[in-house]
Amino acid sequence: MGIGDVKGESDGALVVRVLDGDTDAFAGLVARYRDRLGRYAVRMLGNTADAEEALQDAFVRAYRSLARCSDPERFGAWLFGILVNRCRTVGGQRAKRQRLVSPDEPALARASVPHSEDREALREAIEWAVAQLSPSNREAFLLKHVEELSYDEMTELTGASVSALKMRVARAREELRRLLTEAESV
Amino acid sequence: MRTKRRLALLAVLVGLSGIGAAGSAQAQEARLEGRVPEPARGEIDAVLAAARDAGIPTEPLVDRALEGASKGADGQRIVAAVRRLDLELRSSRDALGLQSTDAEVVAGASALRAGAQPGDLTELRKSRGEQPLTVAAAVLADLVAVGVPVDTAVAAVLALAEGVDDTEYIAFRQNVERDIALGASPVSALGVRLDAAAEFAAGDQADRSPPQRPRKP
Amino acid sequence: MFERDEKLDRGVELLKEPVHLDPGFDRRVMAEIASAPRPRAWVRPIWAGIEWMRRGRPVTVSPLGGLAMAAGVAAVLLLGRSWLAPGETAPATATTAAPGSVVQFVIVAPAASTVSLVGDFNDWMNGATPMERVAGNGVWSVTVPLEPGRYRYAYLVDGTTWLSDPSAPPALDDEFGRPGSVVTIGEL
Repeated sequence: MGIGDVKGESDGALVVRVLDGDTDAFAGLVARYRDRLGRYAVRMLGNTADAEEALQDAFVRAYRSLARCSDPERFGAWLFGILVNRCRTVGGQRAKRQRLVSPDEPALARASVPHSEDREALREAIEWAVAQLSPSNREAFLLKHVEELSYDEMTELTGASVSALKMRVARAREELRRLLTEAESV
Repeated sequence: MRTKRRLALLAVLVGLSGIGAAGSAQAQEARLEGRVPEPARGEIDAVLAAARDAGIPTEPLVDRALEGASKGADGQRIVAAVRRLDLELRSSRDALGLQSTDAEVVAGASALRAGAQPGDLTELRKSRGEQPLTVAAAVLADLVAVGVPVDTAVAAVLALAEGVDDTEYIAFRQNVERDIALGASPVSALGVRLDAAAEFAAGDQADRSPPQRPRKP
Repeated sequence: MFERDEKLDRGVELLKEPVHLDPGFDRRVMAEIASAPRPRAWVRPIWAGIEWMRRGRPVTVSPLGGLAMAAGVAAVLLLGRSWLAPGETAPATATTAAPGSVVQFVIVAPAASTVSLVGDFNDWMNGATPMERVAGNGVWSVTVPLEPGRYRYAYLVDGTTWLSDPSAPPALDDEFGRPGSVVTIGEL
């Protein structure tokens, strides 16, 4: 009984198996959600190491409180909520460390991004720009535009009101537009 | 006189546009529009922005401002209420830990408002382990609200913390309230229900391990 | 302006590209889980003669608790997602943990012409949740779906008089000079 047995089984079925005592079935859930949630974590935290830490933490917490998942068919969404919270914590700790960085970052970033329409250049620029956003604006922007959730879904995950979320997304877009222009005007 | 006004206006604009450090300018909470007057609104937006950056839940702050607006309070009274709650939320978050959920932070703040100490929240966190503290902290605040002295309420909630789950906490609180409504003094009502709860929790421990089903070969 | 948005949109497409984590990730997660206690299945406690619902259903706390017991009516309303009118379908969103609970608010105000429920859950909008007269003896009621949480609220009679809920815990230290109450919805 291994991961191979979980193909095609729904989240709900896997959750029930885990609660019945089949711990291995949880590996199926990990495999199913690892990359999708990993993407959010990496974009939110800006590096893979922090993202993996937050994601592992989220999976373990989900396992421990699995009995509290009141709608096992929506395990993925429930897990996502746990991850969003974990990223806030990990992000907060990282922010404390980064406060010591010199405020010259924009200048450094401009220097490192060549003035070109090249895909890689844009990737570096957008990743840098996203990292400059405040955590709550970044979170809202990623959930809306990268994870493509609806505002109602975002309210569930973040606890913020729809109007506050819309404001954050709008702010994020403005800021990103400004930063992307800055990044290319060396 | 005109210059003063211009300078004041400029100061407000500078403040609002966040000129200076890179980072998003202070967003305005749309729901306060038309309900909370200036300058209170600007002051509240500043509190909200700082809270947001610190990862403090802002919904309760907005709710408190809207409550004041709805009840016809003047601007400065609303600002004072929002600032006070902000401090309690921060204190709650510090006591409960950075990994706390927003709901836990909010419930913790209610407990602090009721008179619990930050150390009590930290104790509660230790006793509850993985379980969320939202209901336990809320019950603490509610017990004080119905007349139980805060030290007694704290002791009761901590005593139950290891053995009972959230539904039992709520039932405990309901029972205490009912007894008080029927004439018992808050302390004796609490005492009686606490004994019953403790006995019950002890009995329940035996049933707590999950049914072990045989694994399929 | 158009150009800048195009750049942003293209940037977003890049952000949407999948990310690959270290291949040992799964193994590390399962190793940490192996040493964790098994998640325990829900045990249904019987408490003071009230039977609680099974795992996965929300528990509703009616602020009517004290009053209802005295009147001999079941104190706790055990409702699931049944607040939808016949014919309505559930919205296709709802992504996280506990589904909403349904709470009934009741107040006795025989002389009132209108009563409204105002609180954290409706942004303290005075007209957002009007209550309805039940029978003819001055009892007003409204039923509201609420997510788990703690909500301050009060009743506004005829747009001028604020009343707290006599059967619910009072809102602590009301700082606006008007009475209020608190309702707590538990989370499973």
